[in-house]
Amino acid sequence: MSAIQATDLVRQFGEVEAVRGVSLEVAEGEIYGFLGPNGAGKSTIVRILTTLLQPTSGSGSVLGHDVVKEPTTVRRLIGVALQEAGLDPKQTGRELLALQGKLYGLKGSVLTGQVTEVTELVGLTDAIDRRIQTYSGGMKRRLDLASALLHRPRVLFLDEPTTGLDPLSRALIWDRIRELRERFGATIFLTTQYLEEADELADRVAIIDHGRIVRQGTPAALKAEVGADVIDVAVEEREVGAARAAITELQASGELPAGELRGTQAGYTLFVPDGPENLAVLIRGLDKAGVRFGAVSVSRPTLDDVFLAATGGRMATADQDGQGEDGQDREPEPAGTGRRSS
Amino acid sequence: MSAAAPDAGRAPGRSRSDEPQTLAAPAGLVSDILAITGRAIRGILREPELFIFALIIPVFFFVVQIGALGDVAEQQLGIGNYATFQLPISILFAAASTSGGNALVLDIAGGYWDKLSLTPAHRSSLVIGNLFGEMFAVLGYSLALLAFGFAIGVRFESNPVVGSVGLLALTLLFGIGFASVSIAVALATGSVRATQSTFIIFFPLLFLTPSALPRELMTGWFETAVSLNPMTYVVEAARSFLGVYDAGVVFKGFLAAALFSALTFALTALAFRRRVRMG
Repeated sequence: MSAIQATDLVRQFGEVEAVRGVSLEVAEGEIYGFLGPNGAGKSTIVRILTTLLQPTSGSGSVLGHDVVKEPTTVRRLIGVALQEAGLDPKQTGRELLALQGKLYGLKGSVLTGQVTEVTELVGLTDAIDRRIQTYSGGMKRRLDLASALLHRPRVLFLDEPTTGLDPLSRALIWDRIRELRERFGATIFLTTQYLEEADELADRVAIIDHGRIVRQGTPAALKAEVGADVIDVAVEEREVGAARAAITELQASGELPAGELRGTQAGYTLFVPDGPENLAVLIRGLDKAGVRFGAVSVSRPTLDDVFLAATGGRMATADQDGQGEDGQDREPEPAGTGRRSS
Repeated sequence: MSAAAPDAGRAPGRSRSDEPQTLAAPAGLVSDILAITGRAIRGILREPELFIFALIIPVFFFVVQIGALGDVAEQQLGIGNYATFQLPISILFAAASTSGGNALVLDIAGGYWDKLSLTPAHRSSLVIGNLFGEMFAVLGYSLALLAFGFAIGVRFESNPVVGSVGLLALTLLFGIGFASVSIAVALATGSVRATQSTFIIFFPLLFLTPSALPRELMTGWFETAVSLNPMTYVVEAARSFLGVYDAGVVFKGFLAAALFSALTFALTALAFRRRVRMG
């Protein structure tokens, strides 16, 4: 039995189709990364699968229970930390957890024990009796995560759990997510905007764009789909045209394979097989053409590259104008991890 | 594109298929309501300044009315004690000016409503618990105003215990009606501003009543409007608890308050269903 299943999910808001036929399946014990830019439909799908929103059509289930027909059963099985940690600022952390526990039917020593356990798990023991209005953003996220864990859910939905957090808080949340799977075998459905996060945590990743899943697979398999090494060349602004002409000439003459050439803020990125060998060819060609260039590196593809190929780079550039891939109009660099040099 | 799951055994975590289904268990509607009510009362007690602000206007009207009309009413119109005549109006004023929807709409806007909705608790408990919390505030306002009234000379003509209990019961029933209006608006709109503006319905409903003078002294269209307003009967019943007890007047008052509350609670139920359906 799948932990989570969605079949042809569609959700419309008036004229807007936020989710357009999404099907997915997550196995028990799996960490499933759901990756996409703002407005791609990630949170809408989470809201449907967690019973907060009904789909316009299609179906979803958690551990075999339909999210529309058996919402109360589904709610007992899942824990959810939504993107915006909605917490009552007037309560203390302990009061909020106790209330949450009571609503899950926890009582007496079980309730007390669970509150203590999840508080320790997220590292909030010292602050748990303070009012939530005094908490930092990271502490609120951790408390939200703690409240999602109180009843030991079998399936955990974490909607962008680290967005807006400092690196330290992010690392702590990551550790807790890994621990949850290791200790409790929980299935984790993790939405994120951070490619690095998905790469670090997820067994499998789905990339959603404009309400549809456009890629899915293990991070390694997705990277392999790119099918090439990545050569980055830093080029000064005035050398852009000459560099492009030189690279195109090398490809036309067959000295370099005909891989994808993409402009970046720093220069160019070339996707080719046998990166180390072709790096030498590229350097010689640029030198011969008299093109002045800076740092050159070769690396294996990352999820950044998978994401760029799947979405056209909308992830990091939602508020910028991506301007094509012709090299003359530079495409801003995607967000996420830096490239790992080989 | 469908994203099919790999074999469950591939994932490193151990499967829990043969383990208990989580610690969650049905708590029951009463337990859910008690939990939400407790939280609402805690929130009220944590902001005593709001409680005091809510009493300022009723006390102000009470004092001003007595100062402006007290002597005339007692000497010219034959009203025995004008403070006793006015106190029920102040108490109903305070009950009507509570906004049960305020706390709820802040939960909705802040995302806490979603958090509570994700629990297996009966969702109706999220509304009823808030309403009960608001009635706790109404009880507090009523007791504070009763104490203030006694301090400045208000006296029950009949049994003070029966009068107090009756007045409080009527006020709570009436308060449920007004709180339900703002809760319905909170659920329907999710807007803080719209919810706060429901206060405005208080004016026609409570001032088109014999709030300043007995109905028998009124004439013309105003008397007609006052007689058609169900709140008139609530006001008269409230006065009956302090003055000469009249079972018929009290019955009409409770009936009017019950009908008003039933109507507004039905609106709340509709708004609640809509919010649950729409997400």
